[in-house]
Amino acid sequence: MSRRERPSPQIVDGKRVLGIVPGTPAVGDRKVPASDDLVMTSPHLLVRHAVAAIFVLLIVLALALFFDAPLKDIADPTNTPNPEKAPWYFAALQELLALFHPQVAGVLVPTAILIGLVALPYIDRSPRMGSGTRKVAVTTFTVFLVLWIILTIIGFAFRGPNWDWVWPWEEWHGEL
Amino acid sequence: MDRIRSSTIGRSLFRSPDRATERDRAAGHWANFFLHIYPVKVRREELTFRYSAFLGVASLVLFGSLVVSGIYLMFFYVPSPASAYGDINTIQNDVAFGQYIRNVHRWSAHLMVLTVAAHMARVFYRGAYKSPREFNWVIGVVLLALTLLMSFTGYLLPWDQLAFWAVTVGTSMADFVPFVGDATRTVLLGGGDVGSATLLRFYVLHVAVLPTAITLVVTIHLWRWRKDSMLEQGGDQ
Repeated sequence: MSRRERPSPQIVDGKRVLGIVPGTPAVGDRKVPASDDLVMTSPHLLVRHAVAAIFVLLIVLALALFFDAPLKDIADPTNTPNPEKAPWYFAALQELLALFHPQVAGVLVPTAILIGLVALPYIDRSPRMGSGTRKVAVTTFTVFLVLWIILTIIGFAFRGPNWDWVWPWEEWHGEL
Repeated sequence: MDRIRSSTIGRSLFRSPDRATERDRAAGHWANFFLHIYPVKVRREELTFRYSAFLGVASLVLFGSLVVSGIYLMFFYVPSPASAYGDINTIQNDVAFGQYIRNVHRWSAHLMVLTVAAHMARVFYRGAYKSPREFNWVIGVVLLALTLLMSFTGYLLPWDQLAFWAVTVGTSMADFVPFVGDATRTVLLGGGDVGSATLLRFYVLHVAVLPTAITLVVTIHLWRWRKDSMLEQGGDQ
C-alpha cells in the first residue's frame, strides 16, 4: 500500500477513528438502546426541560391573557356571603366537614392523610416499582385520590347557598 | 460557541471549555453552577414524557414565575386593611401591565398546586418513593404542604369578600383540632378574627417566610434527587 492510499486518522464527533473494518459488527447489526442506558444530562435532559418550561410558561401567559383574576367587593366582616367557600384546594375538606362530624372531617381525616403520606415509603417496603406489580398500594392510593378529586369537584362546583346541592349549569358558585 | 469558550475570556468563564469528549463535557457540567443541581448522566428512560410528565420541572418553573410576578406586585401593595383593596384596584387599573401580572401570579399559583399534587401522584405510580428515596418523598410531602400554605396565605391579600371569607372558613377548620386548635388559630390570625393583624401576618408569611422555606426545601429535594440518581448509577456519592 502506497503512502497516498492509506487513510489518515480523522476526528469524527470527538473521537479519533483508528481504522474501519469491513463487515458486520461481532455483537449484532445495531446497538438497540435500552431504557437503562445512561445519556448525558446536557444536552439530552436539559433540552427537554427547556421545552417543558416554555410550554408551562406559554400556558400561564395564555390563561392570564384570557381570564382575569377575580376581585369582589372590599372585605366586609358584617356581610357573610352565602355560600362561604374555602379556596378550591380545600373544597374536599369543606365538603367532608358538611358530611361528617367536625372531629372526624376536620381533624382525623387530614391528620390521617398527612401521616399516611409521610409513612407510605416506610410501610410499603417491597422493592417492586412498576404499578402493575403492586396492586394493594396502587389500588389504595387510587381510591383515595379519586375520592379526593370527587369531593373537591362537589365542594367546588356543586354546592350553593347553605351548602345545598346545586347543579353547576343552573347556578354557578365555584370561585377560583 | 466553541470558539468563544476557548478564548481567554471564555476559558475564565467556563473553566472547562473543551467539549471534545464525554469526559470534557462531564467536567464542564461539574464546573457549571447552574448545571450542578443535575446529575451528569441520566437513564434514557428519564427523558421520556411518560416517566415524569415533567411535572417537577413544571412546578419549579411555576414557582419561578410566582417569584418574579410576586416581586412586581410587592412594589404596589401595602398589607393593611385601609390600603390593600385600593392597591389591588390601582394595580389593575393604573400600574403598567398590573392586571396582567396579577393574572399571571394567580394562574401560576393555581397551576402550581395542581402540578405539585400531580407530581406526587406520578412519583407514587412510578414507585419512585422506594429505597433509597424514602426521605425525598417525605420532603415532597412537606413541599406540598408548603405550597398549600403559600397559596392560602396569598388568597387573603386582595382583601376582598372572596379573600376574607375563604380565609375565615379555612382557619375556622382549626377550631376542631383538640388542645392546640384554638392556639394555632389565634397565632395565625393574630387575634380571634380575621383583621389587620391577620393581613400583616399572612403577608409576611407569604412574601418572606414561606418562599424562603420553599427555596431551602426544594434545594434539598433536588440535591437528594441528584445524589440518589448517581448512587443508582454506581457512583461514589
